[in-house]
Amino acid sequence: MISATREERHWLLRNLAQGLFQHLAVAVPPVPVEELHKHPPQVFEIDFGVVDMFKCLWDATFARPPSGQGSVFVRFDLSPEERRAALARETLHALVSSRHGRSMGLGEMLGDSLRESAEYFAGHLTAPEVLVTAYRKRSGDHPDGFANSFGIPAPVASARWAESAELIQ
Amino acid sequence: MTMQALNHLVARSIVDPLVVQAYSAGRIGDLLVELDFPQEVRAQLAEIQADTFAEYAVLAYRLVKAADRATVRIVLPSPLEGLLPETGEERAKREQVA
Repeated sequence: MISATREERHWLLRNLAQGLFQHLAVAVPPVPVEELHKHPPQVFEIDFGVVDMFKCLWDATFARPPSGQGSVFVRFDLSPEERRAALARETLHALVSSRHGRSMGLGEMLGDSLRESAEYFAGHLTAPEVLVTAYRKRSGDHPDGFANSFGIPAPVASARWAESAELIQ
Repeated sequence: MTMQALNHLVARSIVDPLVVQAYSAGRIGDLLVELDFPQEVRAQLAEIQADTFAEYAVLAYRLVKAADRATVRIVLPSPLEGLLPETGEERAKREQVA
């Protein structure tokens, strides 16, 4: 078992997010993360889904009941931005616990840093680099309206914008 | 280009189980030939041994990053030549002095 650095883990997560984004075949933000759960890649048919919860301790959490059908249980009263970010974050948990994810060894690779990895993955699923780059060109490299365009909470947008600038350098 | 090819392979692996199946069966080389890798890098990627595909991906990243760095080193101009190409006039002056 090799130990991946943070940079290597982030590279892997960016590409996993990119693969799912390409499956969605969208060209403009916001990325319809919920659609990914309604129409997942075939390999994740029993791993993706969304269930609205009226009472929930967290904003969202992935779980796999005894039926075997994995779903993200999400609080019904979140804003569309919070809902998109929470679903994107829990998507990584769905990937890791899926049969395909286990066959890839994702759990072993991300196990110790799953929480941080999920946040990072969510940033790239909701704001893929190709769309961020296009947005930067259109906006004159100005972050105003970035969160709104991508339909994500302001703190997530702020972190993602800063990271995108680092990736460019 | 080489890193882009690896990115493409890893992005595909999450939605296409054929990638992981090929790796597990020792046939990752069959997929690598479809991608834009220099021949030497492709041969090294085909030889990487890892317990899982995720580990393979990380080891491949290290290899490709090192190969890309080596390529960049080769393209850098020599400090003896300077950063800008010599013009005909400059070359003539230098030759005159010599």
